[in-house]
Amino acid sequence: MRPGLAATFGALATILTAAGAARAEPFKCPHIGGDLVFAQEANINTLDQMTSSTISTRNIAMNIYEALMTRDENNHPILELAEAMTEAPDHLTYTFKLRQGIKFHNGKPMTSADVVASFDRYAKVGNQRSTLDNVASWDAPDASTFVIHMKKVQPTFIEALSSFSVPIVIIPAENRDVPAQQLTNPIGTGPFQLVESVPGSFVKLKRYDDYKPNTTFQERTGFGGYKQACLDTVTFRIVTEPGARVAGLKTGELQAVEDIPAKSATDLKTDKNVVILPLKNWWIQIANPNTSAPPTDNPLIRKAIQAALDMDEVMDAASDGNYQLNVGFQYPNQPDYTDAGKETYNQHNAAVAKKYLTEANYQGEPVVLLTNKDYPSMYNSALVMQQQLQAVGINAQMKVVDWPTSVQMWLNSPQGWNFHFTGWGTQPALGALATMQFLVEPNASYKPKDGKDDPDVLAAWNDMNTQLTEQGRQEAFARMQKLVLERVYAIPFGSYTKLQAVRSNVNGFVPFRIPRMANVWLTH
Amino acid sequence: MAGILMRRLTGALPILLIVSLLTFGLIHMIPGDPAVAIAGMSATPEQIANIRHNLGLDEPLLTQLVRWYANLLQGELGTSLLLGQPVLHVVAVRLPVTLALSAYALVLTLLIGLISGILAALRQNTWIDQVAMVFAMLGISLPNFYLGLLMIILFAVDLRWLPTGGYVPLTSDPLGWLATSTMPAISLALLLAGLLARITRSTMLEVLRQDYIRTARAKGLPERRVVLKHALANAMIPITTVVGIIVSLLLSGSVVTETLFSIPGIGQLLTQAVLNRDYPMVQGGLLMTTALLVLVNIGVDVCYALLDPRVRYERG
Amino acid sequence: MSGGSVSNPTLRRLLHHRLFMLGCVLFGIVLVVAALAPVIAPVDPNKLAMRFKFRPPSQEFIFGTDNFGRSLWSRVIWGAQLSMIIGASVVVINAIAGTAIGAAAGYFARLDNMLMRVNDALMAFPAVLLAIAVTAVLGPSVNDVIIALAIVYTPRTARIVRSSVIVLREMEYVQAARAAGAGHWRILRRHILPNAMAPLIVQLSFLFAYAVLTEATLSFLGVGAVPPTPTWGNIMAEGRQYMTDAPWIITIPGAALMITVLGLNLLGDGLRDVLDPRLRVQQ
Repeated sequence: MRPGLAATFGALATILTAAGAARAEPFKCPHIGGDLVFAQEANINTLDQMTSSTISTRNIAMNIYEALMTRDENNHPILELAEAMTEAPDHLTYTFKLRQGIKFHNGKPMTSADVVASFDRYAKVGNQRSTLDNVASWDAPDASTFVIHMKKVQPTFIEALSSFSVPIVIIPAENRDVPAQQLTNPIGTGPFQLVESVPGSFVKLKRYDDYKPNTTFQERTGFGGYKQACLDTVTFRIVTEPGARVAGLKTGELQAVEDIPAKSATDLKTDKNVVILPLKNWWIQIANPNTSAPPTDNPLIRKAIQAALDMDEVMDAASDGNYQLNVGFQYPNQPDYTDAGKETYNQHNAAVAKKYLTEANYQGEPVVLLTNKDYPSMYNSALVMQQQLQAVGINAQMKVVDWPTSVQMWLNSPQGWNFHFTGWGTQPALGALATMQFLVEPNASYKPKDGKDDPDVLAAWNDMNTQLTEQGRQEAFARMQKLVLERVYAIPFGSYTKLQAVRSNVNGFVPFRIPRMANVWLTH
Repeated sequence: MAGILMRRLTGALPILLIVSLLTFGLIHMIPGDPAVAIAGMSATPEQIANIRHNLGLDEPLLTQLVRWYANLLQGELGTSLLLGQPVLHVVAVRLPVTLALSAYALVLTLLIGLISGILAALRQNTWIDQVAMVFAMLGISLPNFYLGLLMIILFAVDLRWLPTGGYVPLTSDPLGWLATSTMPAISLALLLAGLLARITRSTMLEVLRQDYIRTARAKGLPERRVVLKHALANAMIPITTVVGIIVSLLLSGSVVTETLFSIPGIGQLLTQAVLNRDYPMVQGGLLMTTALLVLVNIGVDVCYALLDPRVRYERG
Repeated sequence: MSGGSVSNPTLRRLLHHRLFMLGCVLFGIVLVVAALAPVIAPVDPNKLAMRFKFRPPSQEFIFGTDNFGRSLWSRVIWGAQLSMIIGASVVVINAIAGTAIGAAAGYFARLDNMLMRVNDALMAFPAVLLAIAVTAVLGPSVNDVIIALAIVYTPRTARIVRSSVIVLREMEYVQAARAAGAGHWRILRRHILPNAMAPLIVQLSFLFAYAVLTEATLSFLGVGAVPPTPTWGNIMAEGRQYMTDAPWIITIPGAALMITVLGLNLLGDGLRDVLDPRLRVQQ
């Protein structure tokens, strides 16, 4: 059995804290200086990371802030602002020893009082404060120690604490009582600090000269590791038009771009000044069925639909050819990956589909595909699915609205739609636990009748959370995935590859969940 | 004169009231939740609910409406849900951008439109007239976003003379501003110049037909004096009314142009605000924009009254 | 001679007006093509055929294909039909509603103030933004776009009718009719409205063009009739991301749009030249 997240973390922590001096040279900037202009797709509404779950905010804020713990390049939990962590034998206490010499961007040294204040604020306004539901209290016995006391044992706590979805970033204690989203001057401990933010236009960061890199590592890894700010400044420019991003990249006005359309990639490949960087497994393209609305309340109809689908065709349209077929809710490079339920995936078997339809006595009731025009991949996948369903005799219709409306309908309207098209990005990246959360109460994505979840699925979920061994939890996840796929509570189409790109004089930029500006340098 | 001004200004107030009510009603009738737009794509229902609560969106509508008016009376327009900044501040930053672009476009419009219209009228039915009117016709028939796209492909991507988009403020780098604003200004101006050229031409023709022109010519006055002093002066009156329409069209056109060229102006701001259900921004922003338009129209009316003595005695 | 009937000299003048006829021809072509859509574009404009994506214009695909392999020929032609329907509907609604409101405001002084306040309030909104807001409320179907456009442009039409009515109201023959005891409705119907028609007709022909253009703009911004409806604006919007590789997806519908608007503008111009009220001295 592959090691799970917590076990790997445990191993890593022991190794790294015990290892000592036997390590290679840490990263050194080959060239210091320059300004990098990064084109970002979406607007940001705040840099207050604690209260935001948007990618656009995280892109910038996680170059400014750091947290106690975060994830490495393969999404294993690692320490960041703490240099050691010990878990009590009864699993009810976690003690963090903070790193020394860390300073905030305002020059103030970081102490455990700041960590306490950060947790205090997060518990009040944090967008995912349910992370701390099982926590009884926290305190700081001395200036470099921070302790968390649990109400009950939660084997998955460290995984949740290190999550980067809405991370518990460490802010100065004086910001403790700033109301939600009003932290307009972000002060963090990261390698870059804020210079200027013009709403809707750009955000400019500059190197923080007193940054203290994490010497437990030699390289940048994931959100943490050994970070160095080689660039003088970074300008995150908001460029919402894909064509403008591509054009800016070609002319050199933009040195790095968050996203380029697939069609432009073929054109840019011939440009010697541009390097295309595919980011695999950006999200899982998915359609969620409404099991409260006919005819998708009938499992046989759902199985017919599932059988008819040709995932290659759907994903090709969704991603303009940049995709991977993917079974289930995790990716092959992740420790939690399982292919349980793979026999249900990509059947494209019209005969089987029609058989199910006959068995279900399908009378041509409309199957409404609720999608939106704001995300082309969701729109395109719905369009292709509609064609494939119609080919086997299912009366598939499209309902195209915009993104906010589609989500509102998915959340609040039990009728009027049969499949909701979306993409699961951050959650699968965080792990199986974060992803399967979508499939249980409250608001299970398959809209169970009367809000009553499928008991087998719920049972598997409980095991995922409470089993004391890694193996036990992993087995529960495999069980849950198999159930969900067999009962067609979700239709994951495949994994979407995001295409990022940089100018050829930009080095060290490796695409990740956020554009990491540390350890990136320019050459001429 | 002062009487007209006062009457117009007080007359504008009920309009603004209706506008603000209409806006509030309209934006809240749009289905969809701003919290969803703000929370981002991968947000969980819990995160969405938290955001909705943080922003006070789960309160009854009437409460929100009353609170908005109360704040308005204190000069507070609220905070943008999408950008996290005070509405007033954002509008104050964005409005000059649109104004600068509009001014550039207006200058181009006036230059091209007036000159070609006057020339066409003076040389009626010659090739100058035909060419001018053909161009004017093409100008008003070409969708401005189409023109914009074609210009980007030609001047920015292929020839690399101009940047593809983005914006450099006039105050920080005039040359850079010129570079980033030229294509948008042209795509805005072409339509309006065509309009203005046609109207100028027909107005001039109309005026040139008048008796007093024939008299002036018969008196032996030099042609240039006839044109400039008599014809043009009288033609200005109806042309001024067109300026009001042009300004309104500029603002409308800026919506698409700013989106296409990634210019952080008011048009793009308000479009995004409507699409993302950014209630405070839409309410505050639209109110300010329409107030501006109303003021411009009042200004035009006043100019019209100043120029044409007949109007002063008309009702309303 | 009573006003209102299109007299022979007028018709003759129209037919001899070269640009007017050119406009008629251009617009006529679009109209005919739109009407004949089921015949000349039998392929379903929404039929996906991924094998054929991004084919440039050729003998097999006259206008090429788009990113889904859909025939652009079909899409543009059915788009023409949609544009014609939208334009015509907006014009009809405007003609009726705008005339009613404008005449009421111009004729009955008591109603004028109130009507014009709301009218001006609506006109104070930048047209595109108002259209965006209304379509967002009503929903992104073709019918709702029509309603939204009608709401946006009716105030302008009303203003024009109102101006004419105000002037005509004071005409001697109207005063005479009133003195003779004619009722309001009769006066409006027989004396005022027919003479107010000329500027209205001119305005309506330009309005058709505005409606088609604004609809394309709305679709282009992503807020018009919902895809995959093949309006020209939608086609261009969907083709925008592929503009450097498959420019025909943008250039062809754009050209179609231009031809339509050009035809309508020429038509309107011709009408204005011929129907210019200053040339008519009617009783």
